[in-house]
Amino acid sequence: MVAASYFDGRSTRVRDVRLSVDGPVLRISGEDVELSVAIADVRIDEQLGRAPRRLRLPEGAYCEVRDVDHLATLLEAMGHRDGWVDRLQRKGLAVTIAVVACVAIAAVGYLWGLPLGAAALAERLPAGVGTTIGTQVLRVLDGGVLQPTGLPESRRNELSRRFSELRKAAPEIREARILFRRSPALHANAFALPDGTVVLLDDLVASMNDDRLILAVLAHELGHVSRRHTLRLILQSSAVGAFLTFYVGDVSQLLAAAPAAALQARYSRELETEADDYGAALLARNGLSPALLADALERLVQTTHEQAHPAVEGYVASHPPTDERMKHLRALAKTLGSL
Amino acid sequence: MSDTGDALSGQTAHAPEPFQFTGTGAEYFGIWIVNLLLTILTVGIYSAWAKVRRMQYFCRHTEVAGSGFDFHGNPLRILVGRIIAVILLFAYQVSVRLHSPLTLVVIALLAVVLPWLLRSALRFRLHNLSWRGTRFRFAGSLGGAYRVFLLNFFLAGITLYLLAPFTHQRLKAYQHGNSWFGQTPFTFHARAGQFYLRYLLIVAAIAGAVALVIVSGIGAEFIALSRAGKSGAPQDPRVAFRVIGMLYAVIILLSVSIGPVFRALMTNLIWNNTRLGEHRIECALSPWMLIWLTLSNMVAVIVSLGLLTPWAHVRWMKYEMSCIRLLPASDLGEFQAAAPEDVGAVGEEVASVFDFDIAL
Repeated sequence: MVAASYFDGRSTRVRDVRLSVDGPVLRISGEDVELSVAIADVRIDEQLGRAPRRLRLPEGAYCEVRDVDHLATLLEAMGHRDGWVDRLQRKGLAVTIAVVACVAIAAVGYLWGLPLGAAALAERLPAGVGTTIGTQVLRVLDGGVLQPTGLPESRRNELSRRFSELRKAAPEIREARILFRRSPALHANAFALPDGTVVLLDDLVASMNDDRLILAVLAHELGHVSRRHTLRLILQSSAVGAFLTFYVGDVSQLLAAAPAAALQARYSRELETEADDYGAALLARNGLSPALLADALERLVQTTHEQAHPAVEGYVASHPPTDERMKHLRALAKTLGSL
Repeated sequence: MSDTGDALSGQTAHAPEPFQFTGTGAEYFGIWIVNLLLTILTVGIYSAWAKVRRMQYFCRHTEVAGSGFDFHGNPLRILVGRIIAVILLFAYQVSVRLHSPLTLVVIALLAVVLPWLLRSALRFRLHNLSWRGTRFRFAGSLGGAYRVFLLNFFLAGITLYLLAPFTHQRLKAYQHGNSWFGQTPFTFHARAGQFYLRYLLIVAAIAGAVALVIVSGIGAEFIALSRAGKSGAPQDPRVAFRVIGMLYAVIILLSVSIGPVFRALMTNLIWNNTRLGEHRIECALSPWMLIWLTLSNMVAVIVSLGLLTPWAHVRWMKYEMSCIRLLPASDLGEFQAAAPEDVGAVGEEVASVFDFDIAL
């Protein structure tokens, strides 16, 4: 016998009843109620925490049992077995495993799944997407941190000419162009946009005493273009943003983060090395030494230290550990040079 | 039944009946994490079943007058609704970004479909909610839905939101004034003026905060100028960063506190002016308590990388429910469920209804 409350489904009246099992029949007896219901017709709700559990009878009536432990014996007599999810939700071990699994899936997804997915997607996206995003990002940047260049036209033409020469050795890049801008906030810097635009800032041009060093930096940036790194990063941060907005709940800012992401992007060491290797090979194909890129990096580190505002580190901050990269590049220069 | 029994039940029926939430964070955590894992493993499909469990957990642990609520939603229907919602959202996002003539077509289509969809959502929600075996229902007309969701929102938009409090009042009047518990109707009594008063209060608070930012921003700019003058440098970006950082801090603080304050003021107003038959409802959420809960929940969820989400939900529910009381005018055992034929007709309509969660 289990104490329960009976509701007929037609009014909110509560009736105190007792439940018992009699062969294939569930007996419900109490004030104004005397019912026998075939056990096969009784639907038993899941046990969600310590909430009163319900035994649903035909036509909207049900019995509610508060003492869920006591109910277990009755359910056993009725031959009822809880569903597997219902049981898992209450088992400490299952819950622990679920926690570990969720955390593991999230970590693996973020560390490997996200970059791999973004890379795969970036490869497959039509060129138009890169162009659209590139134009949008440039428009936002031009309205903010970027200002018109102060370089004389002859100097720009000279650098543009050398850039197109350099780029000739990279036929797999369908679209590439060079743009000149000035930016007090970004200092000596250069970066690639998803549409193949390489933005070269005045401060970087000024800090290099040899044009071949500038070419080395451009070759490195073409590496980012060739491997679609910027698009990959934008896709990644959009995915993270989309997940967060889904979790937190504002969808409108989904793509608003793209310009910021393109700027603040700190390429992973892997992507930097990839671009370095590409840049080194491109320099070699142009008959230039890959060591130039190492020299350019060294030069940038020096300028950064000389600069008045250590808060802004320009190129060096967005292109991490330089010592290792220089060593790697000089080693590369030796192998490529011996060919 | 004897006379004394009647007198006793009559007396107890008139005592206020507090709502309470009896769930615990630890209990809900198990349900949440197992369903989350199943949702991930099924690429989101299981989320409909997870939602039913979540709703059932929260409804069944919410009690008034000794009885809990219950949720009867069908996971398959929720799944269909979610798929449609995702498609609509995607269509909207894509069309807004494309800037083509198609954009207008999609937006116009959405404007036509949305009121119907929102009404369906209100119906779905209430039809699947019950207390003591009696279902709630929503009987708002389709015309009413278009008036509120299309006309009133449009009016609010073109008047630069001057009519927003009025629209809010119309929305709540439509929602609460057309809700039923079995055969007993809900009625809504809050006037537009009361909405305006609360909106004004919040706008004044925001204006005060913005004024504060402007004053302190001028201070920061002054420092930047004097520094630049001394060193001869055109501009120190660090100062700019500091100003931006300060601005962000204020924006975050504001956005964290406006929501809870708004929710407290509005929820109190709306429920204190909603009646179920002759029974009144009393709601006394404290804005400060909601700010505290929002802030501490946010920190807990972020620090635990989301793992404390269930605890935060339960904590919020416990507080909100502890602030609501039902003031019965008569015996709560006297509500009658809707006639069975009504339920049948209604049930059929619900089959075409989408679950489209709207937090209005």
